Amino acid sequence: MFTFALDALFFFIVITPLVGLLGRKIGFRRFPPIFATVGFMVSLAFLPLLYNQVLDNGGIIMITSELLFMRPIAVCLEIDMLSIFMTAIFLFIGLMTCIYSIRFMEHDTGLVEYYTLLLITVAGMVGVSFAGDFFTLFIFWEIMCISSYALVAFRKGKWEPIEAGFKYLIMGSAGSITVLYAMSLLYGMTGTLNFAYLSTTLSSTSNNIWLYLALTLIIVGFGVVASIAPFHTWLPDAHAAAPSPISALLSGIVIKTGAYALIRCLLLLFIPEQFAWQSVLAIFAIFTMFVGNFMALLQKDIKRLLAFSSVVNMGYIIFALSIRTEQGLTGGLFHIMNHAVIKALLFLCVGSFIYRTETRNLEKLTGIGRKMPVTTALFAIGALAAAGFPGLNGFMSEIMIVIAGIDVGWYIPTALMLLNILFSVAYYLLLIHTFIIKKPTMNYEGVKESPKSMLVIMVILATLCVVIGVYPAPFINFANAAAKAALNIQAYIEAVIGASM
Amino acid sequence: MIPLTYYLACSAALFIIGLYCLIAKRNMVRLLISLEIMISAANINFIAFSTYAVSGFMHPLAHALVILSIAIGGCILAIGLAITLHAYKHFKTLDVKKLKRIRW
Repeated sequence: MFTFALDALFFFIVITPLVGLLGRKIGFRRFPPIFATVGFMVSLAFLPLLYNQVLDNGGIIMITSELLFMRPIAVCLEIDMLSIFMTAIFLFIGLMTCIYSIRFMEHDTGLVEYYTLLLITVAGMVGVSFAGDFFTLFIFWEIMCISSYALVAFRKGKWEPIEAGFKYLIMGSAGSITVLYAMSLLYGMTGTLNFAYLSTTLSSTSNNIWLYLALTLIIVGFGVVASIAPFHTWLPDAHAAAPSPISALLSGIVIKTGAYALIRCLLLLFIPEQFAWQSVLAIFAIFTMFVGNFMALLQKDIKRLLAFSSVVNMGYIIFALSIRTEQGLTGGLFHIMNHAVIKALLFLCVGSFIYRTETRNLEKLTGIGRKMPVTTALFAIGALAAAGFPGLNGFMSEIMIVIAGIDVGWYIPTALMLLNILFSVAYYLLLIHTFIIKKPTMNYEGVKESPKSMLVIMVILATLCVVIGVYPAPFINFANAAAKAALNIQAYIEAVIGASM
Repeated sequence: MIPLTYYLACSAALFIIGLYCLIAKRNMVRLLISLEIMISAANINFIAFSTYAVSGFMHPLAHALVILSIAIGGCILAIGLAITLHAYKHFKTLDVKKLKRIRW
C-alpha cells in the first residue's frame, strides 16, 4: 500500500508489542530488540527494490487514487531519488541505533514501548520523505514528532528528560501547528494540498502578502525541527537529556527531516525567482552557525557541546539550500549523509563513556582514553571528521558547499562559513586533547572497554567515515542524483498532472 | 450569510491568542491548552475555506484533514499531560519558570 519499505516498518510496529508480550511469557527479554532490528533490516532490504523501481519509471513513482477526477484532492505518495536518498540514511541510522540500544538500554524498563516508538519514529520519517502532498506530509510529520517527544522523555524517573521533553514538545508542536496554519492559507488560495497542483497554481499567481505569510510560517514551522537559529533552543536540552541512542537518532536524522521538508517545500512550491527567499535563508544560516559555535565553545557537558555542533552543521545544510545551484544542493545533501554518520558515531561513543562512567561532564571525563582506548580512538576519528580533517568525510561535503558558494559569487557568506569551520576545528581538537593527551583527573576503578555489540556499531560507522572520505565518488553520485531530482520540478509535476491529462 | 473574512479574522485572532499564551504563560497545562487553541485556529481556517470555495458544495479534503488534525491534537495533549504529571511528581510545581535547572 505504502511501498514495501514502509509497509514492512508498519508491520513490525504492529507486531512488536505482541512479540514483547510473548517474550515476557517465555522469559526472553531480548526478544523485542532483536525483532525491531530484524524489522529495520527487512525494510532496508526492500530499499534496493524500490530504487530499481524508481529508476525503471524514469526517476519517479507516484501512488494515488485510480480515479482521475479525484487527483487534485486525493492524497498521494511521490517517490523520487531525493526520497530514496533520505530513506536510505534514515533506515541505516535507525538500524545502527536499534542494535546499539540492545546493550545500552538493557537495565531500563518499558523496552517494548521503546523499540515500538523507535520503529514509529523512523517510519514517520520515511513517510515524510515519501509524501506527495501536504496532507500526507503533515500526518507522517506528526507521527515522527509525537513519538520522538515520548522517546526524549523516556527515562521518566529523572528530572532532566522530563523537563527537556516538555520543552521539546511545546516548541516542536508549536512549529508543526504553524505549518498547519500555513497549509490552511495555501489551501484557501489554491483549493488543493497536492504539491504538484500547488506548484503549478502558485507559479501562475502573482505575489501577494498572503503567499509571503505562508512562506514565512512554513520556514518558521519546519525551522523549529531543523533548528534554525532563533528556534534551536530545544535542541541542546533534548539531545543532552535523551538516552544516547536517541540523541544519535535526533541529531542524525530527526533534524534532517526538517531540512528535507524545507528543501522539498521551498524548491517545489515557492520558486526562488518569484519569492526571493535565498538571501533571507542565507542570513538565517550564517546566524545559526555563529550561535551554534559560540554556544558550543562554552559548554562543559559533552552532549550539549555535540548538540550545539549539530546546530552549526544544520547551518551549513541550510546555507547549501540557499545557494540552490545543483552543485550546492549536492554538497548539502552529501553533508546531510556525512553529518548523520559522524554525529551518530560521536553520540554513540559518548553513550559508551556514559554507560561505563555515568557522567557527561568534560572535566570528569578527562583522560578517559587511557581506560577506553578503542572507543576514544573511534571518537577521535569522528571528531576529526566533524572538524573537516582532509581525507575524512566531513571535509568532502564542506568543501563542496564552499566551492558552490564561491561559484555563485557569494564571497562574504562563504568566507563566514569558512570562519565557522575553523571555529569548530578548535573545539573538536580541544575534545581530542582532553580525552587522549591530558592526565586523568578521576580515578576510574573498573572502567573497561565498551561492550562488543556497541563497539561493532561504532567501528562500522567509523569505517564509513573513512571510506566516504577516501572514496567519495559513488556517494557523491548518489547525492547528485538526489539533488537533480530535487531541482527537476517539471518531472515532479508531470508525474501527477501529466498522468491525468 | 456571514462573509468569509469574519471567519479568517476569528481564526487569526485565535492563533495570535494561542501564540501569546505560549510566550507569556507559565503554567504547564495552560501551555498545552494554548497549543490546542492554535490547532483550533488552523482547523477553523480549513473548514471556512472548504465551505466558501464553491457555493453549495463542501470540499471534502479539508474535512478529512481537520478530523485527523483534531486526533493529532489529542495525541499531543495526551503526551503533554503525561509529561506534566511526571513533572509534578518531580518538582511539586507546574510553573515552568521554576523548572530552571535547565534554562527554560
